Amino acid sequence: MSHPARWIAIAVALVVVGIGVVLATQVGSDPRADTTTSQLVGDLAPELALRDLDGNAVDATTLAGKAVIVNFWNTWCVPCREELPSLQSFAARHRDDPDVAIVGIVRDDTLRSVRSYVKAEGIGWTITMDPGSRAALAFGTRGQPETFAISPDGIVAGALIGPANEDSLEKMLAAARRQAP
Amino acid sequence: MTLRRVFPWAALGVVVLVVLAWAAWPDGGSVTQRDRARDLATELRCPDCEGLSVADSSTSSARAIRADLRQRLAAGETDEEVRRAYVDRYGESILLKPEGSGLGVLVWGLPVAVLVVGAGGLALALARWRREPQLHATAADEALVDETRRSDQM
Repeated sequence: MSHPARWIAIAVALVVVGIGVVLATQVGSDPRADTTTSQLVGDLAPELALRDLDGNAVDATTLAGKAVIVNFWNTWCVPCREELPSLQSFAARHRDDPDVAIVGIVRDDTLRSVRSYVKAEGIGWTITMDPGSRAALAFGTRGQPETFAISPDGIVAGALIGPANEDSLEKMLAAARRQAP
Repeated sequence: MTLRRVFPWAALGVVVLVVLAWAAWPDGGSVTQRDRARDLATELRCPDCEGLSVADSSTSSARAIRADLRQRLAAGETDEEVRRAYVDRYGESILLKPEGSGLGVLVWGLPVAVLVVGAGGLALALARWRREPQLHATAADEALVDETRRSDQM
C-alpha cells in the first residue's frame, strides 16, 4: 500500500471507529445523571451533630435505633413549602411511632425566619439549623428540598432530590426499615 | 542534506521545544495550602448553581466547600484524595474538568487524535511532493520553443 491517501483514510477511519466505540459504550448514559441521585445510598450516613431550635442535641445518640427521615429545606424555598403538607401528613401518621424520627435541617436561612415559620405552620418534628452548612455538605446536597432515609443501623436507605410526597416518604421509610438488622 | 535545507527544520524544532518547555514549566515559587485550596475550588462545580465553580460562587454550599477544602488540606490530604472524596459524595459531575474515562476520553483524546492524523497527513503529503520528478526541458522541447518564438517574431 503505497498511496498516502490510503494511510490518511485508514487513520481517519480509526479515529471515527474509536469515537463510535466510545459513544456506543455510553449510549443511554447522561454525564449529569448523578445530579439527580445521591451517591450516598447504601453507604453509612454522615454523622449528625446538630442542635434543635431549643438547643437540644440531635445526634447519633438521640437518634439511635430509629429510622430517620432527614429533610433539607429553607423557609424561602417554594418547593419546600409545596412539600410541607405531605411532610405534615407523614409526620402525623408516624407521630406515635417511637422507631421513626423526622429531622428537618435548614440549609441556609436565619434562625428568626425559621422560628417564625415553624410556629406559623405548626411543624411538630425536630428542626435544626446547619451552621457552616456542614450537614448539607456531608450529605452532598445540591439544593433544597432534599430528603434522605436512614436505617436504624445508620445506612442511607433512600434519597430524594426535589419535593417529596406522602407516597415517596412512605417508600423511603419502608426502605429504611428493611435495612434494619 | 545541505545546511540550507537542515536549518529551517532545526529552527522549527527549537521553537517547538521552547514552546513545550514554556508550557510545561511549573509556576515559580512554592505552592501553599491556600494556593492548593484555591486551585481545587476552581476544579469543583458549585453543587447548587449552574456552571460556576466553587471558587466563583458565593452560595452557602460553595462557602462550606471552600472551608472544607482548607480543612482537608490542613489535615494532610492530597489533592487527589480531596477530589476523590468529592466525587464519592457528589458523583463525577462535581468535577468541572472531565476525567480521562468514558466520554471524557473524547474531550481529551479527540484533539490529540486530530493533531496526530493531521500531522501524519501533512508529513505524507510533503514526502510525496518531494518524490515527484522534476521536469527538465529536453532538446526537442527547447527547439520547439525556439521555433515558436521565431514564428511569433515574423
